[in-house]
Amino acid sequence: MKYFIIMALCVLCFLLPFFVGAYMIHVLTSIMIFLSLALSWDMMLRTGQLSFGIAGFFGLGAYASIIAVDDFSVDPLLSILVAAIFAALVALALGWIVLRLREIYFAITTLALSSVFMIFARNLSDLTGGSAGKVLYESIFKGDSIKIYWLVLSVALTVILVSELFQRTRIRFAINAIRDDEIAAKCSGVNIFKYLLFVFVLTSAIQGAVGALYAQQYAFVEPESTFSANFLLLPMSMALVGGIYSTLGPIIGAVVLGLASEYLKLVMPYGHLIIYGLILIVTIMFLPRGIYGTIANRIATRR
Amino acid sequence: MKRNFVGYIVLAIALFLIALLRPYAFFYGVQRGSLYGLIALPLALTLGIVGLLNLAHGEFLTLALYMTYLLFDKLSIDPLLSPVLTVPLLLLFGLLVYKLVIERSLKTHHLNLLLLTFGVSIVMVESLNIWWTSRPRNIYVPYASTSVSIFGVYVGGYEFLYTLAAFIVLAGLLLFLKKTRLGQATYAVGQNPRGAALVGINVKFVYAFVFSLAAGLVALAGALLSVRSSIFPHVGGPFTMKSFSLTAMAGLGNLPGIVLAGIVLGIAEEFVKSIPGYTGWADLVFFVVLIAAIVFRAFGRREG
Amino acid sequence: MLLRTEKLTKSFGGLVAVKSVDLEVKQGEILGIIGPNGAGKTTLTNLISGVFYPTEGRIHFEDKDITFVPAHLRARMGIARTFQLVRPLRDFTAFENVVVSCLFARGDSLREARKSARKICELVELEEPERRLDRLTVFELKKLEIARALGCQPKLLILDEVMAGLNVEEMQRMIQLVKSLREKQITICVIEHVMSVISQLTDRVVVLDRGEIIAEGPYEKVAHDPKVITAYLGEEA
Repeated sequence: MKYFIIMALCVLCFLLPFFVGAYMIHVLTSIMIFLSLALSWDMMLRTGQLSFGIAGFFGLGAYASIIAVDDFSVDPLLSILVAAIFAALVALALGWIVLRLREIYFAITTLALSSVFMIFARNLSDLTGGSAGKVLYESIFKGDSIKIYWLVLSVALTVILVSELFQRTRIRFAINAIRDDEIAAKCSGVNIFKYLLFVFVLTSAIQGAVGALYAQQYAFVEPESTFSANFLLLPMSMALVGGIYSTLGPIIGAVVLGLASEYLKLVMPYGHLIIYGLILIVTIMFLPRGIYGTIANRIATRR
Repeated sequence: MKRNFVGYIVLAIALFLIALLRPYAFFYGVQRGSLYGLIALPLALTLGIVGLLNLAHGEFLTLALYMTYLLFDKLSIDPLLSPVLTVPLLLLFGLLVYKLVIERSLKTHHLNLLLLTFGVSIVMVESLNIWWTSRPRNIYVPYASTSVSIFGVYVGGYEFLYTLAAFIVLAGLLLFLKKTRLGQATYAVGQNPRGAALVGINVKFVYAFVFSLAAGLVALAGALLSVRSSIFPHVGGPFTMKSFSLTAMAGLGNLPGIVLAGIVLGIAEEFVKSIPGYTGWADLVFFVVLIAAIVFRAFGRREG
Repeated sequence: MLLRTEKLTKSFGGLVAVKSVDLEVKQGEILGIIGPNGAGKTTLTNLISGVFYPTEGRIHFEDKDITFVPAHLRARMGIARTFQLVRPLRDFTAFENVVVSCLFARGDSLREARKSARKICELVELEEPERRLDRLTVFELKKLEIARALGCQPKLLILDEVMAGLNVEEMQRMIQLVKSLREKQITICVIEHVMSVISQLTDRVVVLDRGEIIAEGPYEKVAHDPKVITAYLGEEA
């Protein structure tokens, strides 16, 4: 029965563009982009590691995809895959080193990532267009917003699927054990490093793919805006507000904050990032499990 | 031990060569590096005693810079005198942030604290952005442009104040931790908070004290830096990661090592900047150091 | 010889927790490890299970050098231990805790792991294992620790003070449980403070004091060893 509802919802989502206006399609596409980022961040968080690297891998994927299309004549659709693989490889190399130390070392290394990638973007100007960035001749699907919406929806649904797989298969046992108590986990046979690296590479690939999607949609990259802190803060806030350590939480958060941020942009054109900073602080202090988490907790303890 | 010794000799030779071949890079590096060390010390203090990585550390510096600018611009207070006001103000600000935001989350998951200080850093940057806009401000004072001749090389003299300040603060901290009662209590809390509490030390007070002190020390650095740097909302950000890289490299309890590491890395950074065509890559130096520190820690673990 | 350590040493900065320990564990025996607090018993357990690596010395398991083999591989090789302060995984039910080790130490599939976990829970008489952890008694938590360790299909099982916090009746049942484990070809090391348990369970006892082995042999002999008595009671015994 549950599966029927989910299938119906999916079909509904696919049919939605025919019932709403262009602006709404744009908003929904944007929400789904951030939803995918929020979920990918949460998946890493479930292992107990805090990554600030969303914006970094997002930007990396964006650049990889644009360069692939512009300099190597790769098909735009394929370039998304290229971006994902590229991001995965970088994450593999980086993670192989840094995940041995975790926690604050891992957190601050990922925090530095977007700045570091930005340096590469600025200095390798032959490849990346330097500070001016790169512009493509045209957007993917020639800018057809409905086709773009479907593409982004497909990616978002895939990410949701992956997140659910994480919650249902043996991966859940490994990840929760690692997060809860590394020593007990490894004495029970869990290969902590392997799982951490796997999740890091996978989530970075997702972030790279999403970055490519975004770049293909707008057909340009540029160091400042592509690596903007917006792509770090908003997904984090969404996951925190909606409820971390779950699939539904980031989805709720993405819808709530996604709609709210559209409104916010109208009211407060500059400096709306401050709101997300405040959301971060307030959520951690007063609602650490987010909306979904708090509700789910109440239900569980009442049983 | 032998490995270390050889490493230090190689380093000394490299530095000597740089001094010879690129004296400007060398002296600017010493100056800049002392600044890094000076700013890293309070971060190391908070990290070591409270066990907290303050991701808003760089933003405290930015705040200090803007305060100094405000005092100079509106009240004509000389930046070198401004610490009289900015240090207490920043001490208070640090205390406020600690009490309002951090204290209640100390017992929770450490990830919470990282996210919290990250949130604080965002709020600070964006508030300053709204208030001051991104237009850079500058303070012009005549003494900031003095020039000094060392072995026939003419370099800016003012920035040696960073070096002086770094060593004074270092000495001050070391004396404080060893010789004063509060300092010894602080050190004890850093070693073993539960043990310290058992012998009657007020751990909460020490935590609040250290966090505020760190903010105050940053204010000092800000006052010195204010006349030689543009002031804009994102100016302090990079210092957080650089301070952590120094702490990671030198080791948490190794305060003198942090200042020395700062100087060495400052020289390395300036050296890279001076290579034609590679100027833009200079900011990567600290990131490479961070990765290197991680590698050494992770793979050095085999020895138990 | 199932397990053999060679001059095993572990120091933490200035403190030497385990000093040049040559321990031998014979296949099929129940070995007792006793000693005053801080003698290094848990550190020794951590070294054997791989929580950290020694500063000096070697560990051999089934004639293989496992000194630097990571903990999760040792679990798969058949070395399991319980924790003195129970560390169940809080986000799971008791049952799921056991599933974890069945999944990763045994390499079962999820379905097989659930079956194995059920059998283990029956073996240790852990009833209603689907309960959340805050509903378990101390006795049940201790049994859960053992169940988790059993999930690793161990050849060597180290029980770190499983009797702590149990009443007399519970201790007797635990003793019966440990004896039944021996019948399953599991070699067991029992770290304990309660001497009556040691005397009932063990074939042989090793005494640690300040990181070193000071006595060895059957319990009766060791209990009357003046060095051992001094270690426990101080100089004026």
